[in-house]
Amino acid sequence: MQDRIILDNVSRFYGEVLGVNRVTLSVPPGITSLVGPNGSGKTTLMNLITGLVRPTRGSIQVLGISPTDPEKLFRVCGYATQFDSFPRGMTGFQFVYSYLRLSGMSHDDCQRTTAFAIGRVNLGDAAHRKVAGYSKGMRQRIKLAQAIAHDPGVLVLDEPLNGLDPLVRAETIALFREFAAEGRHVIVSSHILHEVDTISDQVILLSNGYVVAEGKIHGVREEMSEHPMQVIIRCTRANVLASRVFEQDHVVEVRLHADGGGLLVKTRDADRFYRALNHLALDGVGIESVAPADDNVNSLYEYLIGGEESTR
Amino acid sequence: MNQKVSISQWLSQIGLVIRLEMRKTFFSRRGLWVYLLALAPVLIFLGHSLSEINNRKERQSLNAAHPVSNEALRSIQRGATIEDVVEKVGQPFTKVEFHRPRASLDIYQYTDGENVFVFAFNNSRLTDINERDRDTIAKDSLIFAAVFQSFYLRLAIFFGCVGVFTNLFRGEMLDKSLHFYLLTPIRREILAIGKYLAGLIATVVIFCTSTFLQLAALSLHFTGSEISEYLAGPGWGHVASYLGVTAAACVGYGSIFLAAGLLFKNPIIPAATVLVWEGMNIFLPAALKKVSVIFYLQSLSPVVAPPDANMPALQKLLVTAAEPVAPTWALLGLLTLTVLVLAVAARKARKLEINYSTD
Repeated sequence: MQDRIILDNVSRFYGEVLGVNRVTLSVPPGITSLVGPNGSGKTTLMNLITGLVRPTRGSIQVLGISPTDPEKLFRVCGYATQFDSFPRGMTGFQFVYSYLRLSGMSHDDCQRTTAFAIGRVNLGDAAHRKVAGYSKGMRQRIKLAQAIAHDPGVLVLDEPLNGLDPLVRAETIALFREFAAEGRHVIVSSHILHEVDTISDQVILLSNGYVVAEGKIHGVREEMSEHPMQVIIRCTRANVLASRVFEQDHVVEVRLHADGGGLLVKTRDADRFYRALNHLALDGVGIESVAPADDNVNSLYEYLIGGEESTR
Repeated sequence: MNQKVSISQWLSQIGLVIRLEMRKTFFSRRGLWVYLLALAPVLIFLGHSLSEINNRKERQSLNAAHPVSNEALRSIQRGATIEDVVEKVGQPFTKVEFHRPRASLDIYQYTDGENVFVFAFNNSRLTDINERDRDTIAKDSLIFAAVFQSFYLRLAIFFGCVGVFTNLFRGEMLDKSLHFYLLTPIRREILAIGKYLAGLIATVVIFCTSTFLQLAALSLHFTGSEISEYLAGPGWGHVASYLGVTAAACVGYGSIFLAAGLLFKNPIIPAATVLVWEGMNIFLPAALKKVSVIFYLQSLSPVVAPPDANMPALQKLLVTAAEPVAPTWALLGLLTLTVLVLAVAARKARKLEINYSTD
């Protein structure tokens, strides 16, 4: 459990306002996305993990370290908050360098490490300009540089892709993947669902301060038996396949595509459906592609939280 | 061994925090008024000195036009007639006459180049002699002591420390940049100490410079020999003591307002409360007197400003020391109070949370 981030029955109230309630999580290495609309508790959860706020109840361990011990925690953890404000008068380089120095690095090491971190977020050319003159995207990147500069095992990033153009966004996502591939924790919050789909190893869905689901997106989806899985199949002889598929007792609905080249199947048991599909394929139906239609965060969110809240 | 590593690391972190804070404390736009507050008494004393220099020049030119010696002026006794006086010391440089049918008042002013003598004649007989001596160092040191205790310590340094120390945490909360410190591997207590020392360096430099400049400005109108004589006597001791008391004020008030910045969202309320508490120190019971900074500062002040009859009641109250204690005890008491308040501040810093939306 020393390689996990563990929250045990954690609650946080701001007076009478609920931040998060009874959150119990065990987050493994990899990219974990916190998903939920504004006010769902994503930032509170991140602030709790990094000790910027204290839990009203419950306990937290980050790789075995309590967030109440910043001296140890921030040797293994980096946090890019969503606050878009910086100490006055600093250049990007000074900003990363100054706070890095507090970790006890020598001046030379710090200079080198700062330059490396700023290079990793592709901000080298603007490193010696004042942060106050940066664009929103540049400010996001310099915060990211500060969070990764000390090479942390846990990277917590609050809405890190906000304000980034598509190219930088792709580069940043690649950076997250690189970190995750090295066995580190990358915890990312977002309310942009399609973004989360593409980058996450696992998701934590939050609503009104509660964790409504957690795990790998596919796994979470499979656990929701009250919502049949939807599968899109592109094939030849779609009408034949439709009639054969509908004979299965777990299939609840089949719709033929208008062009006759495919069908949408709703099933209550995805595993049995895929096994059956293998047999049908052997019977001479030419299957071109099979893809889940609602095995994504957007659908999960809609099923779990319904229309009461909206996400972009 | 680990303990040693920690201590050296803490010291290095304190040094780094001080360096980071230094620019903010010295050059922040929010702190401009602190400089003005520190500069105000320098300007007052400079104005006083320049006016004294002008007055002396004027007296010397008047004496050149109406030459008379100090001895001659001092030999004039009450009861003398106008004619006697004019015969002895000549015509005055100013003469004012009020004449009524059965009464007359004549005022004659003379100067020996340094002092001014005012002779008042009722019905041509000298009834009053008023001597306006030029300022002496002894006289000005009492004026300085009164201004130092009633304005400089209680208001200028007090509010200067409010401005600098409450901003160390509260200012960064308002700027929403405090969290960057809290995301580094530094103990919050170490951060609080580092910030306190940064504030202390700034206020000590600003206010001690002001104290020194005030003394320099005040001494401008004295001659070189007068100043040398003063410095050879108690002078340097006074200068050192005033600088020490100024620094001690920053130490004491600094700790209080650092804690206030951590404990309260609006520093005006604790500042006003402390101001009233410090003001009513003289009325407090002996035990409570010790829970104030001014009690120790007054005991450390080198010159006791005697409340004179012409002083406004409020100022008289402010310069009256409440049962002073020996300087060593005063220093120890002040340091103990400071350490206790800093311990409270460090404890609060340890539990500090970032919640900018409510700050």
